[in-house]
Amino acid sequence: MSTDTHKVRGLGASGAGTSDYIRLRVTAIALLFLVPWFLYSIVDACRVGYAGAIDWVAQPINAILLILTLSAALYHMRLGLQTVIEDYISKSGSRQALMILNTFAVMALFTAAILSVLKIWMTASA
Amino acid sequence: MVQLTLPKNSVIGKGKTWPKPDGAKKTKAFRVYRYSPEQGSNPRWDTYHVDTSKCGPMVLDVLLYIKNKIDPTLAFRRSCREGVCGSCAMNIGGHNSIACTKGWDEVAGRTITIAPLPSLPVVRDLIPDLTNFYAQHAYVQPFLKTDTPAPEREWKQTPEDREQLDGLYECILCACCSTSCPSYWWNGDKYLGPAALLQAYRWLIDSRDEATGERLDDLEDPFKLYRCHTIMNCAQVCPKGLNPAKAIANVKHMMVERVV
Repeated sequence: MSTDTHKVRGLGASGAGTSDYIRLRVTAIALLFLVPWFLYSIVDACRVGYAGAIDWVAQPINAILLILTLSAALYHMRLGLQTVIEDYISKSGSRQALMILNTFAVMALFTAAILSVLKIWMTASA
Repeated sequence: MVQLTLPKNSVIGKGKTWPKPDGAKKTKAFRVYRYSPEQGSNPRWDTYHVDTSKCGPMVLDVLLYIKNKIDPTLAFRRSCREGVCGSCAMNIGGHNSIACTKGWDEVAGRTITIAPLPSLPVVRDLIPDLTNFYAQHAYVQPFLKTDTPAPEREWKQTPEDREQLDGLYECILCACCSTSCPSYWWNGDKYLGPAALLQAYRWLIDSRDEATGERLDDLEDPFKLYRCHTIMNCAQVCPKGLNPAKAIANVKHMMVERVV
């Protein structure tokens, strides 16, 4: 029997949202440059076979840019999926659980991706 | 989880097709949403045939024709009949608009559908329940807030400062924009919606207002503000030609500006 004003005010403004908004846009700007480089380089690296691709990743500049691309893409993906969850999951408990799952999944992907690049780079350098 | 289908008691059934008016040479068919809570049945589509030679050019004229000459039980809101009050906002031919300024000949199709504004609870026929919408408007505190003692006469503003309010103050609160927004459909209980946020921006950029920071604090929330994904339905349907999406983008810029 709560009033409409009570419902609209709810728990009040959380004071959050702007940082995610900025991060989503900053990662989008970074990806605007990194994704074309990544696509061009991957196609180029694939032409020279497995060994050639390993050599390509082992070059420091390529390894650095690859880590930056993967980091920006995965962070952007996390924020994007968070937006989808916020949009479509109305139950608070389910929303919170999915947001935690989203973070864990992205962290797992991030760790695996970065470790793979570092492994290739370190193996090739040894 | 978001509900993609209508609840069982909201599924619209086939209603009555009213006979064509006697002696009418040229008629136009209108399929109108009908719902009476006291009947306890689902809503239905009633079809009416309107004698276009005896009816005015606007959709509101059609509704008045139906009410006066065919079916006096049809309920809808109307008042000014010139696009000022926003009372007759409804969904006409699939697009939200106000019936008094929408010509029925502007709507494509042999049969024109007329339904209440989407996503809101229906009180009766074409009358939606706007209490939540008005509470959202009240949330943004749409009035001048100052700490400086009021001057003897008016609060002054330069013509340039006044120009900033153009494209914002004209809003008539018809709710066409908010109820056309998919984000508002999914999260209308938490997302303030285009109409309230346009009004929020109208007061945020008012050079006379002294509560800009407080106003931004009240909006900074993933749901209250950041559910806007620039879908642009709001700007497309606004009967006054306003652009709430742009106003919301400007609010977001203000949010960023005070952080970075």
